Amino acid sequence: MDQDTRTGSFKPEIVVLCCQHCISPKFDLKSNITDASGLMKLRLEVMPCSSKVETAHLLKIFEQGVDGIEVVVCPVNQCRFLVGSARAKKRIEYARSLLDQIGMGADRIGMDQGKGLKFPQLLELASKRAKTVLSLGPNPMKGGK
Amino acid sequence: MIVAEQKPILELVNKLRGHKNVLLIGCATCVAECAVGGEREVEILAPALRMAMQVDGNPIQIRTKTLERQCEWEFVEEISDIIPQVDAVLSIACGIGVQAVAERFSEIPVYPGVNTTALAIREEPGLWTVRCAACGDCILDETGGFCPVARCAKSLMNGPCGGTRKDGKCEVDENVDCVWRLIVEKAQSRGTLETLMKIRKTKDWSNSRHGGPKRIVREDLQT
Repeated sequence: MDQDTRTGSFKPEIVVLCCQHCISPKFDLKSNITDASGLMKLRLEVMPCSSKVETAHLLKIFEQGVDGIEVVVCPVNQCRFLVGSARAKKRIEYARSLLDQIGMGADRIGMDQGKGLKFPQLLELASKRAKTVLSLGPNPMKGGK
Repeated sequence: MIVAEQKPILELVNKLRGHKNVLLIGCATCVAECAVGGEREVEILAPALRMAMQVDGNPIQIRTKTLERQCEWEFVEEISDIIPQVDAVLSIACGIGVQAVAERFSEIPVYPGVNTTALAIREEPGLWTVRCAACGDCILDETGGFCPVARCAKSLMNGPCGGTRKDGKCEVDENVDCVWRLIVEKAQSRGTLETLMKIRKTKDWSNSRHGGPKRIVREDLQT
């Protein structure tokens, strides 16, 4: 077990990949995006469409030592580009199966749907992923960063 | 196209254990078309393997390269200056590509990263089905363009077996059409059913695997 986990100081690094059409137009992306609760280190990346999610990109993020990824997509029948959410879902499922084979745990990555989201809701989704990742422990790649 | 399937990550980890610096090479031709060994798959497999080896306690460096065709010597030559810098090669080309790299660079171990499985066509996104068995004695004109050698589970040459399901599917796999049903229906639609009743010359299997390893000579192309 990693020292961070043993000492209870493990603060998961969570990346939220979010389709820009999921976010409320009132949400200022330039605002300070931090987790005030101190549960995790949070990074938000906004995509033009969730179909931009590629399996290779997800794995490369994990290779950099990130502990968990939450992908936020539009509801399947509300994707502006029709099939973006459906494609993202399949690629995430494939990435999950690879993470499982790798031995890092499929639950390091997950997907949620939303529309008109504001920061508190995105934070809630990220927190949910962080809590799941806490039980998996730190990303083994952290040492090799 | 030649179709392959990726080997499980754990099998690759077991093969690469002990190596420190590996070249992962893809092929931009058939295995790229079947989404298992092209540049895109190289970019997925490289981080996946680095992480898997790290979890295994044997971290490795993985360099990547995708050749236009791994089955052509000219393209294989493109990695000649990388080979001295690595201690193993993992190829996700078909078996022909793997052998070409292994033959050209005999000083280094070359591991296959995929299992080459069929000569197939992409029927729809994410579904490939076999079309050819490379039997060496093509009779597709006699069977309406459907190959009974590759597409009949028993490679029957003279009509369906007794196991065709009521819905016209193969008894071996409910998702596969009985190819002899397809052949007969095509002949019916063309009004050429009687041609299927003709006694056909015995198939020449000597030009397939039964004749030993294939060697094709074209003197007009030789230098």
